[in-house]
Amino acid sequence: MRAYLAYLSKRLVQFAVVVFVGINITYLVTHMTPINPVEQSISAATTYGATSPEAIEMMRQSLRQLYGLEGTPWEQYVAFWKRVLVGDFGPSLSAFPTPVSQLILRALPWTVGLLLVSTLLTWILGNLLGGLAGYYRNSRILKAFGVLSMGIHPIPYYVVAFVLLIIFGFLWPVLPISGGATMASDRSNTFAFALDVVVHSILPVLSLMAVGIGGWFMGMRALVSNIVTEDYVVYAELAGVKRGKILRSYVMRNALGPQVTGLALQLGAIFNGAIITEQVFGYPGVGSLLISAVHAGDYSLVLGITTVSIVAVSATVLLIDLLYPLIDPRVEAR
Amino acid sequence: MRILRLLTVATGLALAATTALSQTNVPGVPRNETIILENPEGTIKNPGWFNIWTINAGGQYTGLHQLALDTLWYIDPERGLDGVWQNSLAAEKPIYNADFTEMTVKLRPGIYWSDGVEFTADDLIYTVETQIKNPGMRWSALLALNVESVSSPEPWTVRFKLKKPNSRFHSLFTVRFNAIWIMPKHVFEKAADPQRFDFNPPISLGAYKIHSFDPDGKWYIWQKRDDWQRTTLGRYGEPGPKYAAYIDPGPPDKRVIAQLNHNLDVVHDIAPEGMFTLTKQSPSLKTWFPNFPFAHPDPTLPSVIFNMQNPAFQNRDVRWALALLIDVKAVSMASYRGAATLSPIGIPPTGTHPDDYHIPLQEWLASYEIDTGKSKIKPYDPTIGNQIADMLRPTMKEQIPTDPAEIRKAFGYGWWKPNPQAATELLEKAGYTKRGNAWYTPDGKPFSIKLMVEGDSRPILTRAGTMIVQQWRQFGIDAKTEVAQGTTMLDRRIAGDFETLISWSVETYGGHPDLSFFLDSWHSQFVAAPGKTQSPRNWQRWSNPELDKIIEEVRRISFDDKRTVELGRDYAKLIVREMPIIPLMAYNVFTAMDETYWVGYPTAENPYANPVPNWGNSRSMMVKLKPKQP
Repeated sequence: MRAYLAYLSKRLVQFAVVVFVGINITYLVTHMTPINPVEQSISAATTYGATSPEAIEMMRQSLRQLYGLEGTPWEQYVAFWKRVLVGDFGPSLSAFPTPVSQLILRALPWTVGLLLVSTLLTWILGNLLGGLAGYYRNSRILKAFGVLSMGIHPIPYYVVAFVLLIIFGFLWPVLPISGGATMASDRSNTFAFALDVVVHSILPVLSLMAVGIGGWFMGMRALVSNIVTEDYVVYAELAGVKRGKILRSYVMRNALGPQVTGLALQLGAIFNGAIITEQVFGYPGVGSLLISAVHAGDYSLVLGITTVSIVAVSATVLLIDLLYPLIDPRVEAR
Repeated sequence: MRILRLLTVATGLALAATTALSQTNVPGVPRNETIILENPEGTIKNPGWFNIWTINAGGQYTGLHQLALDTLWYIDPERGLDGVWQNSLAAEKPIYNADFTEMTVKLRPGIYWSDGVEFTADDLIYTVETQIKNPGMRWSALLALNVESVSSPEPWTVRFKLKKPNSRFHSLFTVRFNAIWIMPKHVFEKAADPQRFDFNPPISLGAYKIHSFDPDGKWYIWQKRDDWQRTTLGRYGEPGPKYAAYIDPGPPDKRVIAQLNHNLDVVHDIAPEGMFTLTKQSPSLKTWFPNFPFAHPDPTLPSVIFNMQNPAFQNRDVRWALALLIDVKAVSMASYRGAATLSPIGIPPTGTHPDDYHIPLQEWLASYEIDTGKSKIKPYDPTIGNQIADMLRPTMKEQIPTDPAEIRKAFGYGWWKPNPQAATELLEKAGYTKRGNAWYTPDGKPFSIKLMVEGDSRPILTRAGTMIVQQWRQFGIDAKTEVAQGTTMLDRRIAGDFETLISWSVETYGGHPDLSFFLDSWHSQFVAAPGKTQSPRNWQRWSNPELDKIIEEVRRISFDDKRTVELGRDYAKLIVREMPIIPLMAYNVFTAMDETYWVGYPTAENPYANPVPNWGNSRSMMVKLKPKQP
């Protein structure tokens, strides 16, 4: 137990350092970008409208004051950390004065919902079919699936997404191609709204699964192919244990270890958003929010989103590290 | 194996179920009573924010500034509903005193906010005073700079006393694209801080009021007011659509799909290729021009902009040489696939400008001569439009107009013919030399030029820039494109961190000959020193005493003075002589309109409004649109 506590404290320190360094790098990168949020705001506010150079100069001064961009870089940096430590990312510069946290909280459920479902479905199906393919090596259906998934796997994601869009949005228009829900749908009717959201998520989920499933499938099939030659599997077969039981208890369970690690890392990364998916399918999530923040030079919002992501990924890694010694006796808590 | 079978069945069932669900209509908003328009702002990150008087806190083109807000006057970029000038909340045109230090506005009575409160002079005064008191608001600076005081000497009359003479003060309240919108005093005065008030739900002064909006920022639906007669649009008749939905339809391919599926009535803009697809596949398509180039030419002028503070471009002969190396036919094909409306002068060929400027200047352009040092040439070619039409005819067939007047309208009134020999002579006159295939500057360095383009953010102009660079390179100049994606380009443009760039510094009213909208900012008093930030719109940082004289004279005369056209022509001639920018073409917007549900869209044949749906004056469309099947 003492060894585990020492291991725990070491990992916690590691977690804090990773988060601190990650956020600082993001701070540095966003503040070194050549995009100036004040100029972006002025441009968006004055494009196509009547203005005068003198007025623009006055606007510049007012906005710098309003956005809190005055003061030395050090003062701004300290002010940033003071806010972050209490979970406040300040107001968005491209949607001033709305707080960054409000914008993230609005977009996050969509991204988490979409990516959680697609990641889990992809993982379950990929591993299940990969496991079956590794064990039932002569199944023609599984062989065909293997060829198909390996064929789709290397195709760039956006190509797959657009092909799906054209097939199900234009040639056979059975699925909605844009947004997270139908326009003006009644959100108070929870069941109907949930169903509507599910329907709208079919194409994005399908596109993510199409390119993601091949990796899990091939990984699992390779793992299972190795395990089936292990002595204990051969022994079980010779002993007449049912094939289903061998597959479930002897093969799959032993092959799942590395796949679970991979899953946990992917789950942590869902807070990054799926930028291309959200853009292609017009899905209202964190990825789209991040892109618009980058374009607008809104570093408060970029920092908010990346901080959430850094903390999420680091926390998942920490969780895996902490759980592994408890689950797998071969991993020592050191 | 059972799992596989189960999966197959489940997938089949799910698809069958979604077939029905995907065809669901918007509840309570019948499709045949709704016009669906693209909002080019995309997804609004702060959808519940309707306070447009703060700077960029929420969406603007969500229908808010087109349908819900109003101001004193409108200028249509085309011909207008009953003329280019529209008195909106004002009952008549602005009244100035002799020295332009006072402007009086007579307001239109009988106009009501959507909550039943009457619009009065108090709203206008509140709009002005509130923004002056709160410096961070959207029009605070413009009002603070101009307004000494504002008062209402009698009901329905507002008098502005100005800090200095300004013959164009009314333009702040005149919608070209937008203007200072009037605030509802009775709503905002209850807010603790007008800069932190979201104005949700908004009340409207326009003919539509908010029906609903997406909490995730994808769509906004506006509903026609029952009392639409009590709005300024009411005098033109009842708006056709009961509902107007402004949506984010996604990337260009999806906009095309959505329109082919009749789920998007008005596409704001797509790539020329997308428009060509629609012309082939959509029988219900309506476009600005019935044939090629289909697009609406906006009153904006993409040009090659020289950084005039860069010593390399301070010699007029060099700038002219570079212009004469451009084969604009190739640029038109590369950028707009031929669908470009060209302009050789510094005024976009759109709205009423051809009648005021392009046509009257034809003779002067045809006789304009350049002395290259070795010869005198007449660079103007009025047949360029015809040549482009002839190039396109084999592939686009009957879509290319044959009537010469139509060709000029569609492809422009001519441009400069490429003349590498004259360019050579001009460069030699400027002290440049050619050794082998490469040109060298007078001080012996290789003649290199970087042309900044926006890359994927603005692909059409990037293609134009790439073609121009290729042409300069073929001549022996070490030219390169430099990609600065949208927002980076913006920062570099104001910092003067470029040699040349493809962008625009000319924007006009389109429907009115007065050029002060952009020209005033070109006065040398506003040119920043090298390294300092340049305010819009003189990105070329050009100072010229002759131009200053024109601008100062424009400032001294009234907006409608006939001299504005003469001064505008003087400006156009000066630009031709000095070439601080090489004007290329109008910014053609490929607005695609679908006639499945609505007819009566504005077109070049019936140009009562600009069809581009994010312009404030696109509200005029609503009163002309009629249901296809009543």
